[in-house]
Amino acid sequence: MKPNIGTLAILGVATVTAAVIGVMSGLLINAHQHALVAQLTRSADQLSETIASSTYHDMLENRRDAVHREITTIGRQQGIEKVRLFNGTGRVMFSSDEREIGHAVDKNAEACYACHAAGRPLERLGMPARSRIYRAPDGHRVLGMIRPIHNERSCWEAACHAHGRDERVLGVLDVDLSMAEADRQLAHDRRQLILLAVLAIAASSLLLWWLSRQLILRPVASLIASTRRVAHGDLSTAIPDTAWLELGDLARAFNDMTRRLGEAQRQLAQSDKLASVGRLAAGVAHEINNPLTGVLTYASFLQKRAGDDPETRADLDVIVRETKRCRDIVRGLLDFARQTPPRLEPTDLNEVVRRAAAIVMNQLTLVHVRLDIDLAPGLEAVPAEANQIQQVVVNLLLNAADAVAGQDDGAGGSIRVRTEVVAVPRFNVTIRAAACPKGCDLLDKGVRIAGAPAIHMLRRWDDHESTVHLDPVYGRFNHQAAESCDEGVIATYLCPICRTRLEIAEHRCEQCGAPMYGAQVDALGRAEWCSRKGCQGCRWDTVDELGPQLYAEIVVADDGRGITPEEMGRIFEPFFTTKGTRGTGLGLAVSWGIVESHGGTITVESEPGHGTRFSVRLPCHAAPAPMARPAPMPDARGIATSGPTGTRGAQPAPAGGAGDGA
Amino acid sequence: MSGRVDVLVVDDEPVVRDAVMRVLAAVGLTVETAPDAETALASPAADMCRMVLCDLMLPGESGLHLLRQLRARRPELPIAMITGYATPANADAVREAGANAFLPKPFDEDELLSLVRHALALTDVAGEEPRP
Repeated sequence: MKPNIGTLAILGVATVTAAVIGVMSGLLINAHQHALVAQLTRSADQLSETIASSTYHDMLENRRDAVHREITTIGRQQGIEKVRLFNGTGRVMFSSDEREIGHAVDKNAEACYACHAAGRPLERLGMPARSRIYRAPDGHRVLGMIRPIHNERSCWEAACHAHGRDERVLGVLDVDLSMAEADRQLAHDRRQLILLAVLAIAASSLLLWWLSRQLILRPVASLIASTRRVAHGDLSTAIPDTAWLELGDLARAFNDMTRRLGEAQRQLAQSDKLASVGRLAAGVAHEINNPLTGVLTYASFLQKRAGDDPETRADLDVIVRETKRCRDIVRGLLDFARQTPPRLEPTDLNEVVRRAAAIVMNQLTLVHVRLDIDLAPGLEAVPAEANQIQQVVVNLLLNAADAVAGQDDGAGGSIRVRTEVVAVPRFNVTIRAAACPKGCDLLDKGVRIAGAPAIHMLRRWDDHESTVHLDPVYGRFNHQAAESCDEGVIATYLCPICRTRLEIAEHRCEQCGAPMYGAQVDALGRAEWCSRKGCQGCRWDTVDELGPQLYAEIVVADDGRGITPEEMGRIFEPFFTTKGTRGTGLGLAVSWGIVESHGGTITVESEPGHGTRFSVRLPCHAAPAPMARPAPMPDARGIATSGPTGTRGAQPAPAGGAGDGA
Repeated sequence: MSGRVDVLVVDDEPVVRDAVMRVLAAVGLTVETAPDAETALASPAADMCRMVLCDLMLPGESGLHLLRQLRARRPELPIAMITGYATPANADAVREAGANAFLPKPFDEDELLSLVRHALALTDVAGEEPRP
């Protein structure tokens, strides 16, 4: 098995613990043994002192029976091995073991050695030197304590005259105590100590194992697993943010990194798509324009030479007109790929809708789809490039036809197309650029709300912190949050890139008084929202001052199958199609680009199973009055540069970009 | 060959060459064609024509290369570039390389004739091989 941090830590700590506890146990046992021996030695000394003093008078009066009785009695007591008395020549005079009486011991015997080792006997010894430990024949240990009995005046003057005046040591009292009980206790204590030591090592290892598993191994394992998943390209990976301390920080940093990688990848994928659109457009333009040159040149050549035959002339007119329209479409595709601004001319949108309807009418009839047209009378001309808007309407009509065709077993469905002028209140302006106070870009092209890139921020409350995507349409509140927050909570909002706070201290919500957070919309000032969850307070002075704006609206509604919420976020992406091989996935992307470049908006509402409603709004007037004031004009970055493919700064701001409504 | 060439048309698409020739011939102009840059440069028409209509994207050497070669050989020759991929970048490149005009495909008879007449009028003013 591959060693891991936990195993190594446990091994290390267990070794150190074992060494420390082992040495400590050894020292403890040693000290304990010394204390026991010292206690036993003192007991033996006291006992020999007692015997010596209690037999003193019997000795003086030479009452040998009494001495013998006393020694025998004491020697029978528990824990006393034997008590004996030697005379000066080493003969056992009295003993608790009667078999020994009368025997002589060698001066080299263990009881005598302490004094007689040096050849000439020592007369006085300290207590430790008088004691000795030896093994009895049956193996248990015995502590012996000798006490030399010194000659004194009373001894040589005693009536028995047993001892002469010149003798120094008259004899030796030897008291032997059994150490069996003490040794048993010592062994028991040693066992207990070893058991405790083993338990301590086991417990600390177990604790360490558990801690390292909870605090290190598991988070590290999940980090490794996530890193592998990221390495394999799964950028939706996130580590559960449950680890403590530094590993928690690491997990958060990792998640942050993965999220940003994901965003970068999405943007890369988008620009890849853009590059593909560009290549496709270039290829198509080159391949189709050559045959178109042939058709257009011959047709226009013949047109002039058709003579007076009105029928031929009319046919040639159709060929020339439609070929020119093909040319415009190809150019439109190139324009979309390059995001060039439209040539705005006063355009009658009713006429555009009529022409678009005429183009698709045959196709609709074939699939039994009814088309109801309801045009606003006297619709004012709006600044637009007619061909481009016609392309948008044709696109929407064909999509609608696909959605309703074959719905009711050949009965077909119906499509309603309507034009009207709408006054859009101060709200409903799409924010197309958003920056934090330090200038970080807050627009997230990877996440779209109803088609437009959302504004991303970090929201923090209590101990929560997660990403929110704000609805880029000012005044609409279809925000998306990674983690929901309770109603009424006042959260803090941060830049997801540099973590700068997005509130301005003195800005308070007019409705509830909570702080307001916001983003700089380039030269168009600051858009702000109330930081209290559930409050719909918002403020954007530049737009609030504009007042209602007039828009010409084209609505294409069908009663078809509708769009699922999953599809809804992606329908304006290039090459996203729900029609399989029949769709190129370019129709709505091109339409989006066209409407955006007109400073308008295209929005979609859908209910799966009931139908879809596309609404195209184009500003009625090129430049809203308040934008013409001497304040610096918004630069191209601020507005209308984020097409569905997310290119920025690729085109100058179209006229009226600031006032586009949704 | 009559020894007089008004317009040299260089394009790899036969339909474009034929259509242009047809339109120009109808107004009495003599047209020579070439399918690529190498053929055009080797052709005697390159030295005697009064103007050149040249596609930008040619197989082999590009139209831009042909434009530079011709410009080096005949500084006063009117050269108009035609292309199916008309981008501002292409237009700039062509102008920088010394083209007199830039005509995006597809074009109709009027657009073609107006371009050619304008170019030939220029050569008339310059006095090079004036038409009788």
